[in-house]
Amino acid sequence: MLKIEHLTKVYDNGVVALQDVSFEVPTGQFLVIIGLSGSGKSTLLRCINRLINPTDGRIEWNGIDITNATDEELRLIRRRIGMIFQHFNLVRRSPVITNVLAGRLGYTNPMWSLVNYFSHADRQMALEKLARVGIREKAYNRADELSGGQQQRVGIARALMQEPELMLADEPVASLDPATSHSVMKYLESLNRDDGITILCSLHFLSLARAYADRIIALKDGRIEFDGLPEKIDDQRFRDIYGEDAVRVEIS
Amino acid sequence: MSGKTNNKDNAQPARSALRTVLIVLAVVVGVVVYAYGWNTTDISLDEIQDQTRKESVRRALRELLSPDIFDRDRDEASFYAQFQVGCPEAGATIEQPEQGDDAYVVFSPSCADQDEIVTVEGYNFPDNAIAMLRLPREGGNNIPFKVMLGSSEDAKASNENIFDVDNSGYFKVHVKVPRHRDLEDGEIYEVEIPTISPTGLPRFSNTTDTVIEKMIETIFLALMATTLAIPVAVALSFFSARNLMRQMRMPLGPVLVGFVLLPVGGAVGYLLLGPLGELGIDWGEDVVPGIIGAIVAIGAYTLITRLAARLELDGLANRARGVVLNFLLLAVIVFTLGVLGGIGIWISDRLEKGLLQDLGEFVGTVGTLIDLMIAVLAAVGGAFWLSSLGSNLAAAPLRYVQEPLSNVLGGVLGFLSGAILLYVTALIGTQAVLLGLLSAVVAAVLGGQCAGLVYERLFMMENGKRQPRRDDTGTEQAVRSAVFVIGAVLAFLLAAYVLDLLRAIVDERPPSKREWDLILGVNVRIYLAQAALLGGVFGGLAGALSGTSVTFPLGMAVYNTSRTILNSLRAIEPLIMGIVFVIWVGVGPFAGVLALTLHSIAALGKLYSEQVENIDAGPIEAVQATGANRLQMIVYGVVPQIVPPYIAFTMYRWDINVRMSTIIGFVGGGGIGFLLQQQINLLRYDQAGVAVLAIAIVVSVLDYASAAIRERIV
Ligand SMILES: Nc1ncnc2c1ncn2[C@@H]1O[C@H](COP(=O)(O)OP(=O)(O)OP(=O)(O)O)[C@@H](O)[C@H]1O
Ligand SMILES: [Mg+2]
Repeated sequence: MLKIEHLTKVYDNGVVALQDVSFEVPTGQFLVIIGLSGSGKSTLLRCINRLINPTDGRIEWNGIDITNATDEELRLIRRRIGMIFQHFNLVRRSPVITNVLAGRLGYTNPMWSLVNYFSHADRQMALEKLARVGIREKAYNRADELSGGQQQRVGIARALMQEPELMLADEPVASLDPATSHSVMKYLESLNRDDGITILCSLHFLSLARAYADRIIALKDGRIEFDGLPEKIDDQRFRDIYGEDAVRVEIS
Repeated sequence: MSGKTNNKDNAQPARSALRTVLIVLAVVVGVVVYAYGWNTTDISLDEIQDQTRKESVRRALRELLSPDIFDRDRDEASFYAQFQVGCPEAGATIEQPEQGDDAYVVFSPSCADQDEIVTVEGYNFPDNAIAMLRLPREGGNNIPFKVMLGSSEDAKASNENIFDVDNSGYFKVHVKVPRHRDLEDGEIYEVEIPTISPTGLPRFSNTTDTVIEKMIETIFLALMATTLAIPVAVALSFFSARNLMRQMRMPLGPVLVGFVLLPVGGAVGYLLLGPLGELGIDWGEDVVPGIIGAIVAIGAYTLITRLAARLELDGLANRARGVVLNFLLLAVIVFTLGVLGGIGIWISDRLEKGLLQDLGEFVGTVGTLIDLMIAVLAAVGGAFWLSSLGSNLAAAPLRYVQEPLSNVLGGVLGFLSGAILLYVTALIGTQAVLLGLLSAVVAAVLGGQCAGLVYERLFMMENGKRQPRRDDTGTEQAVRSAVFVIGAVLAFLLAAYVLDLLRAIVDERPPSKREWDLILGVNVRIYLAQAALLGGVFGGLAGALSGTSVTFPLGMAVYNTSRTILNSLRAIEPLIMGIVFVIWVGVGPFAGVLALTLHSIAALGKLYSEQVENIDAGPIEAVQATGANRLQMIVYGVVPQIVPPYIAFTMYRWDINVRMSTIIGFVGGGGIGFLLQQQINLLRYDQAGVAVLAIAIVVSVLDYASAAIRERIV
């Protein structure tokens, strides 16, 4: 159970990115967050693993207070929360396998990992995770030799190395074409269904959200505009979220 | 609409007149500026025109451009012929020489008066020799025959004495019979014809040999300086990268605990680990016990970690295990380092002779260095260990400390921290007058902070909470900054008064050495005690006002400190560093290495840190999100991105250091610059020409190579 209470984020330049956001996510849910660009989706997701420190409010996960965790505690929390990113955030010059192994850093002895030593079990695991996302054979290529879709799958494999209980996905398909988008979303769906990982995923397209979400939260100017089942979003709601001029774009 | 246009038209002439005036003014100012510049720089056309100066510069340039690169073996030989100065009435009374295969000379005429011109023909002389004619005299004051220019007998006299023998051993010159008061008319003189003739193949001259040797020294000097600078520059570059440091924030409480524990940990490390390191060195010098000791230590540590990892511990016990293991690791590292140092010293003792001597010396130096530094290293290790331990342990309980208590704690910790900080800066300040300013500046920052906090307390609180910035119009921040500045100025003045900076800076007298008798016969220097007290008061006030839970931008504090270090280091010319190090370690390449190292640290640190600031933040974020610690984040998120530019800049630095070392050499820093300076002082411009040529070649080759490598990597 992830509890978010009165979450507020004010950036140093005075921009209020989140304002009094509260909601709860039961374990095992596939929650999609939608909203216009700048509505605060990325900020919200990054507050959850404290890549961004909230200004106010509380985040509690399975009884642990994330907002007040010390650095050391935060590390232990983070390693159970996977994250994938819109721009994949791979180290482009490093081989795929190194990128994937980085997902294991929270578990390895810091001394060994500094000299790039990972246990045989970890390496085996990395290859398994790559096999799971279907790019086992790319393990020793440089990350930037892969296509966008493949890079995102490396990102997923890296997050899987953490054996996460919660997965944060910040617009994971925004820089991919529709077909590839679906394939990446399918992997997320499988993680949710088969591994029972709770997923918080921000998306731009409502159609994609509808296809995969158990529940949708819409943000507008840092506040929750809608929170409910996907089918509850009718044309009026859609315009509330995306503005009067918005036109639905279908992605099939 | 039309009114506006009219207005504009009216304004036009006035404005253009104004512009004309401004232009004229600008021209006048410009002329004055340049006239002043002309005068102060002593630009003088007379000097440029001066005939003798022109002549000397021409000679110097000619020599520079005739570098003494090559040489060959030379034979020196002297031949003799008879010549009668002043012809007797009856004609010459000397016999014509035998015209055989030996060298001989024909004077025509074979006698002549002083200042008369005679033609001299030589046969069978060494091929391609240079030769001269002279009348040898006792005491070495030979009288030379001046050679005439041109082939005819009425040619002009030159200043030259030397002429060339052709490639068949023949020469023909017109010379003037010398005029000298010791020459007696009618006397027959023995004329000496010394020759110098090249033999053998051309080879590099001695100058070239020396230049090559010094050039190699220079290249290695630059290499050493660059290499030594790299680790420090890399470390500083991370600390000077805003993007990495900005996110490093912590509650004030743990930061202060860590800071206060630094000196304590230093003492612990020095006392506990220092002797361990010494032991390592002693054993290492006997090799076998050292190696066994190190193996046992490392093995024991590995075993203990394995065993400890099996224990299912949680909470406090888990922490305690971490603490013990970390201390053990530190101890093993210090001991092993000591052993390595000891072994190094042992090796250098064995390798005194032979091929491996250089290697032995190098290893020995490293060993000795470890020997000298081990106690300090132990202290630094202990300081960081205890400090991070303390701040980690304090972090959890301090979170639950509420308002009044947190202020009290903040006050106490702030007092201690401020006292330590100012004590240390004051200690630095006792070394030199100008360094005394450091304490005052630190005090000013603390004082400014106090003033800002007081202002915040009084005017910016809302419901007992510091206002979120969202309704801030900006004016409040501006006012707060102004209050900070005022507070800082006041604190600076107070510190200047307490520490008697006036006496230090105006009278240039170091701080007084008077001491206070503290209890137990411990004496404290009053100056330091006052500084510590001042720091304690400001630090305590700031700590009490902010409380332990306020967020402290630790990263930015580190960032600003390391930036300041880099910038001030870069402001010092390497030439001046060179002079300082020549005074310290004496004339020679070592001084140059040290000076260039220091300068390279500053330059590379800056360049590197800019590269770190330019990296893609994505991977960092991703690695952090996996639960990696800071060091892992740097190794996996940052390092892969900066390796290529780091290599490129290092190459570039090496190239620059070669060029700079020539300049450092001028002040005694060794290398080719030192040689060049000697050559110039001895007016051997032909030799200097070789050095200049060598520098040009090496610099362009390195320049080209580093550009090529950079291109390939980036
Ligand atoms: N580091 C930052 N500093 C200051 N303001 C920021 C920062 N990051 C984001 N913001 C601002 O916060 C607001 C919310 O940004 P956020 O990135 O969370 O939106 P988003 O919904 O993810 O948008 P997008 O769909 O474009 O990714 C925006 O107005 C943005 O300009
Ligand atoms: Mg976003």
